[in-house]
Amino acid sequence: MNQEPLRIAVSGLHRGDNPQPGASIIRSIRRSYPNAFIVGLVYDALESGIYVEGGPDVVYTMPYPSAGADLYLQRLEEIHALSPFDYFLPTLDAEIELLVYVEDRLTKNGWKTFLPEMESLHRRAKNHLESLVKACELKVPLTEAVYDTATAVQAAREFGYPVMVKGQYYDAKKVFNDHELIAAMNKLLAEWGAPAIIQECISGGEFNAMGIGDGLGGIIGLCCIRKTIISEKGKGSGAITIHDSALQAMCEKLIAALKWRGPFEVEVMLDEADQKYSLIEINPRFPAWVDFPAQFGVNFASALIRIMIDDNISIKLPPCPAGHFYVRHQIEVLGHINQLAELATSADFSSNKKQLI
Amino acid sequence: MKTQLSDLLLNDRGFAFDPVRGETYQLNTTGLVLVKMLQTGMTEAQILEAMQEKYEVDENTARRDLEGFFDELETIGWKA
Repeated sequence: MNQEPLRIAVSGLHRGDNPQPGASIIRSIRRSYPNAFIVGLVYDALESGIYVEGGPDVVYTMPYPSAGADLYLQRLEEIHALSPFDYFLPTLDAEIELLVYVEDRLTKNGWKTFLPEMESLHRRAKNHLESLVKACELKVPLTEAVYDTATAVQAAREFGYPVMVKGQYYDAKKVFNDHELIAAMNKLLAEWGAPAIIQECISGGEFNAMGIGDGLGGIIGLCCIRKTIISEKGKGSGAITIHDSALQAMCEKLIAALKWRGPFEVEVMLDEADQKYSLIEINPRFPAWVDFPAQFGVNFASALIRIMIDDNISIKLPPCPAGHFYVRHQIEVLGHINQLAELATSADFSSNKKQLI
Repeated sequence: MKTQLSDLLLNDRGFAFDPVRGETYQLNTTGLVLVKMLQTGMTEAQILEAMQEKYEVDENTARRDLEGFFDELETIGWKA
């Protein structure tokens, strides 16, 4: 039987100091669906995942989500006319924030997604975490959303230095005094807009859990890790799988309370003081390390595709055994100035033909 | 949040992986022997007897060393 290949749009292809999940998602999808036709959506012609072997078949540039839903959807329609796709996996927080508002328009166009409900998305936002955690009887560091530097300084002094200062979507910095805080606030507000988040610093190990929520309160699969190498930006450059029933139970509680639908990443710290997990944040997407468990047979991105193909949330991924680890490895990916020129001037190119269109 | 000794992944050279916390440890020779004894379900009395025989020490010395070892297990967060 000659089956048409799956046609899937994926965004967030950059790998670097602050790696995005898209390139890993494509690797995972190709492990199960080697003939899938992947439409890469990028914001910059230098996103490294464009040029990687086994990467997207075609690539198109997109307007930033901040340009608004109409422009964003209009561009998706243009791309769809050139390279049709049936499934869409947005991978960046800012995209998901936008797309939950227009999911019905995506569906009307025939593009399948598996996104959280708007209410769930808001309840897990950094500035609403405290009330979510209280409802689940869990712990969260003291947190305050701030819109200006004066309030930030006030909050930091109340919590006591050092504190973490975070952008509303990305980026976090540990600051030790007012001077450092003000500099970090100015940078974050300029880059990500208000509010920024001031958070009490917890001392202890950093743990993450990746999974897929079924939208009814259940979890389709879960992979828990402890970060073993932490980059200057706080990213897990190395991590090892663990099996901790306490962390698993915490994730189950949160996802049940949120009735979370779609991929998620729960970030926690194990507080040295009381040996309890403290919730740092919940990301509404797969992490950049999504392809790591796929390499020992637990493929989250492919499971998500299967859910969308079959409209079936009863899929269950096997547990991830403890003791597998990853170390992030940077390599140089080859590109040619002609590719860059084409993408910069006509906003698309086909990598499978090895020539520009 | 304690790790059961039976869940530890050990090799013959004393490299231990705690699957609950994701930490790795290097046990010394005696520590490795004692952890393995506990993993097989030996009682404290049986371990004391085995220690006296293996290390040719009296009961008091063996008991003191074993108590020190149990204190270390407590600090690390491991339980038999």
